[in-house]
Amino acid sequence: MIMLSPRREVGEFRKRYKWMVLFVLVTMLSIVGRLFMLQLVQHDRWAGEADRNITKVVRLPATRGLIRDYRGRVIADNRPSYNVLVTPRLMGEPQIESIAGLLSLDEAGKQRFRNLLGRVPERRRSHFVQAFNDISRDQYAAIETHRRELPGVNLIVAPLRSYPFKQLGAHTIGFLNQVSAEDLKDMNGLGYGPGDAMGRSGLERAWESYLRGRDGELRVMVDVRGRELDSSAQPEKPVRKEPVPGLDLRLTLDMDMMRSAERHFRGHPSGGVVVVDVHTGRVRALYSKPGYDLNELTSGLSQERVREMLENPFRPLIDKTTYESYFPGSTFKPISALAALQDNIIPGSTHYDCPGYYMLGRRRFRCSHVHNDTDMHMALVQSCNTYFYRLAEQVGIDRIASYAREFGLGEKTGIGINTEASGFVPTREWYVKNHNDKFQVGFSLNTAIGQGDTRVTLIQLAMMYAALANGGTLYVPQLVEKVEQADGSVVHEFPPRIRRQINVDPAYLEYVKEGLYGAVNNRKGTAFEARIEGGVPVSGKTGTAEVNKSKISPKEDPRRAWYDRRSHSWFAAFAPSDNPQLAIVVLVEHGGYGGKYAAPIAIQVLQDALGDPSATKKPVLVSKKP
Amino acid sequence: MALRRGLRDNFDWPLFVTVAAIAVVGVVNLYSATSAAVPALRDIYIQQVYWLTLGAGTAVLIAAVDYRHYERYGWIGYGIGVSLLILVFLLAREIRGSQRWIPIGSFSLQPSELMKLFLIVALAKHLHNDPRTEGRTLKDLIVPGAILSLPLVLILKQPDLGTALILVFIFVSIMFLTHLKLRSLVTLVVTMGVSAPLAWSYLLKPYQRERVTSFLAPEKDILDTGWHAYQAKVAIGSGGLTGKGFLQGTQNQHKFLPDQHSDFPFPVWAEEHGFIGSVLLISLYMVLVLLGIKIASEAKDRFGAVVALGVSALIFWHTVINLGMVCGLLPVVGITLPLFSYGGSSVLTMMAGIGLLMNVSIRRFHF
Repeated sequence: MIMLSPRREVGEFRKRYKWMVLFVLVTMLSIVGRLFMLQLVQHDRWAGEADRNITKVVRLPATRGLIRDYRGRVIADNRPSYNVLVTPRLMGEPQIESIAGLLSLDEAGKQRFRNLLGRVPERRRSHFVQAFNDISRDQYAAIETHRRELPGVNLIVAPLRSYPFKQLGAHTIGFLNQVSAEDLKDMNGLGYGPGDAMGRSGLERAWESYLRGRDGELRVMVDVRGRELDSSAQPEKPVRKEPVPGLDLRLTLDMDMMRSAERHFRGHPSGGVVVVDVHTGRVRALYSKPGYDLNELTSGLSQERVREMLENPFRPLIDKTTYESYFPGSTFKPISALAALQDNIIPGSTHYDCPGYYMLGRRRFRCSHVHNDTDMHMALVQSCNTYFYRLAEQVGIDRIASYAREFGLGEKTGIGINTEASGFVPTREWYVKNHNDKFQVGFSLNTAIGQGDTRVTLIQLAMMYAALANGGTLYVPQLVEKVEQADGSVVHEFPPRIRRQINVDPAYLEYVKEGLYGAVNNRKGTAFEARIEGGVPVSGKTGTAEVNKSKISPKEDPRRAWYDRRSHSWFAAFAPSDNPQLAIVVLVEHGGYGGKYAAPIAIQVLQDALGDPSATKKPVLVSKKP
Repeated sequence: MALRRGLRDNFDWPLFVTVAAIAVVGVVNLYSATSAAVPALRDIYIQQVYWLTLGAGTAVLIAAVDYRHYERYGWIGYGIGVSLLILVFLLAREIRGSQRWIPIGSFSLQPSELMKLFLIVALAKHLHNDPRTEGRTLKDLIVPGAILSLPLVLILKQPDLGTALILVFIFVSIMFLTHLKLRSLVTLVVTMGVSAPLAWSYLLKPYQRERVTSFLAPEKDILDTGWHAYQAKVAIGSGGLTGKGFLQGTQNQHKFLPDQHSDFPFPVWAEEHGFIGSVLLISLYMVLVLLGIKIASEAKDRFGAVVALGVSALIFWHTVINLGMVCGLLPVVGITLPLFSYGGSSVLTMMAGIGLLMNVSIRRFHF
């Protein structure tokens, strides 16, 4: 028998067991407490995390609404673009190399790709991220051919905005670009995501909520490597939410008229044209030169191109029809005339003598020519400043200002796109405040001929001439006629909006219109040279707005300085004279004399729109380039 | 004859039922844990059944022999354990930067697992033959400390920090049984508290410190370990009160859990069975450990008491460290959940330990 050791006293251990039991209980309970925390208190958080782990959401982008012109031609379209999505977790160096090879990326492109992958946070690494946008046909073909060998690479087709008319009407139509991180913060809850495009200017921006539509999504179950499970292993069916396409806009613009404006403007580097329907206020053309190619802006500009555009002296980024305001020059004279007539200060038959200037005290106010004895009609025809100086002396600045405001000057027209300038109509009070408490009659004189401090935008002036033409109805300019669904059914239709009925005697209005008719059709008229023999009859007013008159400093480039000091060339008109349909305003920036440069453009655009095409056309005069 | 009667009449049913329950639940969980895994892993729940059966047989054999025989051969067992650990360096191939397994035919033996039991028996033998009535001093810790240190150094060299930690915790737990004088205890704690940072700063060269830090947190070097620990928390938390249901855990089915069969089987369970299931499972472990302490307290001699307590400590520390790790309370170290994790050496060791517990329990009315 083996000798087993004798029994030994265990008393030494006795006192320790209860502490051990306590320790076990406390430890186990703290683990239970931790589980209580994780599984009950924080359950929602972890459950959400688990859910996000396994659901991959594929966005189904909505098609953006189209923009069509008045005749139904597409101005803003969507074309398919091919984008490459990748799953960062599956992208090792060999994968990066082979993708770079297929897309024929250079070293810098490869590095950008690596950086992009490096920036993706850990929890999103098994999700798709967009790596390359709008790849070329060749690149698409290369990837598509080798797709089976490239797990974690996906190709999607997404609509990309395209503008068939390129730079024509660029400021009005506007462009898109991708939302930035700040935008996403600002527009939290509006459903924008990274990579989405949104309207940045013009109609694309103002009508964003209509055009945009609502993205759909496809939810699929994935495993840890981001691979979709086959359908049998899917606990639930993939959930598909169809995208809702955006609504289409039908504009009031007529791209034919825009093209015509562009064509007749070709001799001049900078300016704008506005054409409106006098009976509705619908804008038929809104042309600002120079423009920019919307396709270029939508796909993203390089730094150099941005700088180039910002430094361009003709300011392509400025919308010269609504954002910029100018001295109206003589195009303002109909207001002064109506103020005198309507308030019975001076009847039209009053004659003044024009020796080529007017002396007010010791100050000499110039006129363009010696007009000798004129009445108000001939003063409008020949744009005689002297007559209007005399008139202003008696009518006074406030009466002129009130009629100017009545015709919509000095306040925004409400065209509803971009930033609109309100222009300015000075009053006596304003002059007192800004000129050492002393009002001088000279201010009234300058105001009456559209110099001084009055500033108007092209769209304001066009609405004013439309009101002159239609008998005194001032409309709100309208750009969008209808909102339609993709199938052509109309969602909203916008009727013309009248701003106000201007209180002027039709007889006086008729008197002024006769003057405007004479300005074009009278042999002595300022725009007679631009008249098209046998063309559509036009009534209008020239304007030569003096600008910077300061002396040329030696620091300036003399040619630039010479250009900058030349007057703006204006012509505002309506046609046909006997039954007006369209009103037009043309501004040639630093063009020079209004009747010589702006008037031919306006008259030829009107001729293209309303006249018989067989009528003789005059050659366009080219403004002297700097 | 007396032995047989003892086996029949004094069989510890609560211990048996608790262990059986954990083992059955563990196999079921293993089935779910590997159901979505690569084909090579899908059958390991069957292998686990084989290991458990083998382990049960071992436990019966161990329980059948009066434990006083083990006391007699305690040093021999210890010697075998240490020899195997030395053998590891001669035979083992490096896997994931450490040498832990001795290949035997088609499977591998992990001697460090077995060493845990040999250490318990060796310490029990020493304390059995070193009875005291008055308090112990630091001098009395020299021999037990040496018993611990030899295998500890060998295991640290593999390196296998997890197992080394378990050995230290078992040692501390066993020594807590003995009556150490308060003054000695204070001296010990203070000396260690002061010397550790000093040694860290002045004795170790920078490259050695670096070795120790990467040694203390080896998984830091393995890509995405933090991510894995996070996914374990996601699995547990998303289980909620009642869980997602058997085979319905998305974290597991979609392969978000790493090592779901070895070190991370608990998140699978917690995800599928929720808070209720988790508390039930933890209760089973708690009952097992408390039964072990009870058996120790009822043991009739010092050897039996120390062995029962050592095995209880083994089960307790494995459970607590593994659960703490998967809940994010402790850093990730590779320590298995007893009878729940897949692994031959681990299951055999645990079952042998249970056999020792049963042995002490059955013989509590002897002598």
